[in-house]
Amino acid sequence: MNYSMVKILIMKDWYLLRWAILASLAGGVISLGIIATGNKAAFMLGLILLVTVLIVAGAHIASTTMVTERKEQTLAFIMSLPISYREYTAAKLLANLLMFLVPWLVLTLGSIALLAYPPGKSMGLIPFTALMSVEILVSTCLIVAVALISESQGWTIGAILVGNVALNFVGYWVAHIASIAKGMEGSSVQWTPAASALLLAEFATIALILGSAFFFQARKKDFL
Amino acid sequence: MNDLSVQFQGVSKKYRHFTLDNISFELPAGSIMGFIGANGAGKSTTIRILMGLVHQDKGAVRVLGHAMPAEQAAAKLDIGFVSEDMRLYGAASLAWHMEFIRSIYPHWDQPYAESLLKRFDLKAEQKIKGLSHGQRVKAALLLALARSPRLLVLDEPTTGLDPVARHEVISELMAVLADQERTILFSSHNTLDVEQISDQITFIDRGRIIDSADKEVFLDRWRRLRLVLPPDAALPRVPGIVEIGGSGRLPVLTTNSFEPAMLSACQSTGATVQAVDSMTLEEIFVANVQSRREGQTV
Repeated sequence: MNYSMVKILIMKDWYLLRWAILASLAGGVISLGIIATGNKAAFMLGLILLVTVLIVAGAHIASTTMVTERKEQTLAFIMSLPISYREYTAAKLLANLLMFLVPWLVLTLGSIALLAYPPGKSMGLIPFTALMSVEILVSTCLIVAVALISESQGWTIGAILVGNVALNFVGYWVAHIASIAKGMEGSSVQWTPAASALLLAEFATIALILGSAFFFQARKKDFL
Repeated sequence: MNDLSVQFQGVSKKYRHFTLDNISFELPAGSIMGFIGANGAGKSTTIRILMGLVHQDKGAVRVLGHAMPAEQAAAKLDIGFVSEDMRLYGAASLAWHMEFIRSIYPHWDQPYAESLLKRFDLKAEQKIKGLSHGQRVKAALLLALARSPRLLVLDEPTTGLDPVARHEVISELMAVLADQERTILFSSHNTLDVEQISDQITFIDRGRIIDSADKEVFLDRWRRLRLVLPPDAALPRVPGIVEIGGSGRLPVLTTNSFEPAMLSACQSTGATVQAVDSMTLEEIFVANVQSRREGQTV
């Protein structure tokens, strides 16, 4: 693996999407600001905005770096460079994850900070927030993998749809797991074995999705 | 073996509606091959296999000593590739692209890149989306040439260019030919462009290579003989006839094996040779394709 080439390709995507990353950060910070007002209606509005910002950021990054690359025929330019399919796959996955992790990490930590301060008010929501935040990461990885393998707008939109529906189902399901639901109303963090198991399952799903992306890419015979 | 830049041996690739069939050719280092075919003949598929971007179903491909597609990363370090369907990033400037390519290719020649900027009348700070099609092709060519490749692969680079831009691109390519070490594969359906820069010609049609030889061999051996036959005389037997045109007593024979001795052979049968016409590469290509499609002996 030519790591130097992978790094150059990641930096290239980072440069081309720098304004989109900044815009998602700005949108996320505004959402957090709305949540921080303390009003219940504002809390719901801010939460919806925050989730929307993260989903749109993941979908936009995946779509622009892979689907648009094929659609606008810049893929031929990139594939003419001294890279192998493995290096291209690694560069695209890493670039997408790193670009998404910037707003995701900032906004996840921001959300947890809002719940943690002032202490004792909404700290019970922190495990649920953490689990849902990682679920958004799972959903983004699915979109990235589908966009990478298919390079198709239709399939990527399908993946966005599946990821979004799954996010709502998982949210509903997690909120109704007795041990987690019990702690959500509390004023302290209650991290339960069920929460640990769910978190582990989410990270395992991420590993499976990314591994599958490499598996299917390795079997491609036509790159243009 | 070592002085072959490109070697295809029995390469096949099957698609649902198209098959590239048993392609074999060699491109010696320092030579310039014109790859001519109609749209959909298989030029781009062959070039994509050469670049490692499409995997062949059968056969072996070696480029600059590397087996393709397995060793494509190493091979592409010495290849400059420009294709008609290749685009640069619209939101970035040409200067950014130059810096991007410079960071990858150790042999990037900055003074040459700057001289090409002037020659092609390009502005480095201009964004790609603000360039015309001709300027975009020139920008892509600049990025390919300034990396000092040992092999330059050009897939229909002049398609869609206006006559002035086409002239500029071809002129620059002819200047590049001064470098004897560089090998060029130039694909086009425009035979005039290919004729100007190539020293070897390969014709491809319907996924098969139908002819391949030095350009001069094609131009020397292909002729049209305009005859006048005496009443009731049969057509003289001329070797390598690929097409019989004209009518009745005024036949026009197209041959791919012309030799001056043919003229006396024709005259000995009573025919009068009115004219022996040279053929352009385009006429040779069309006659070659038509005779192959009609299944005539060549």
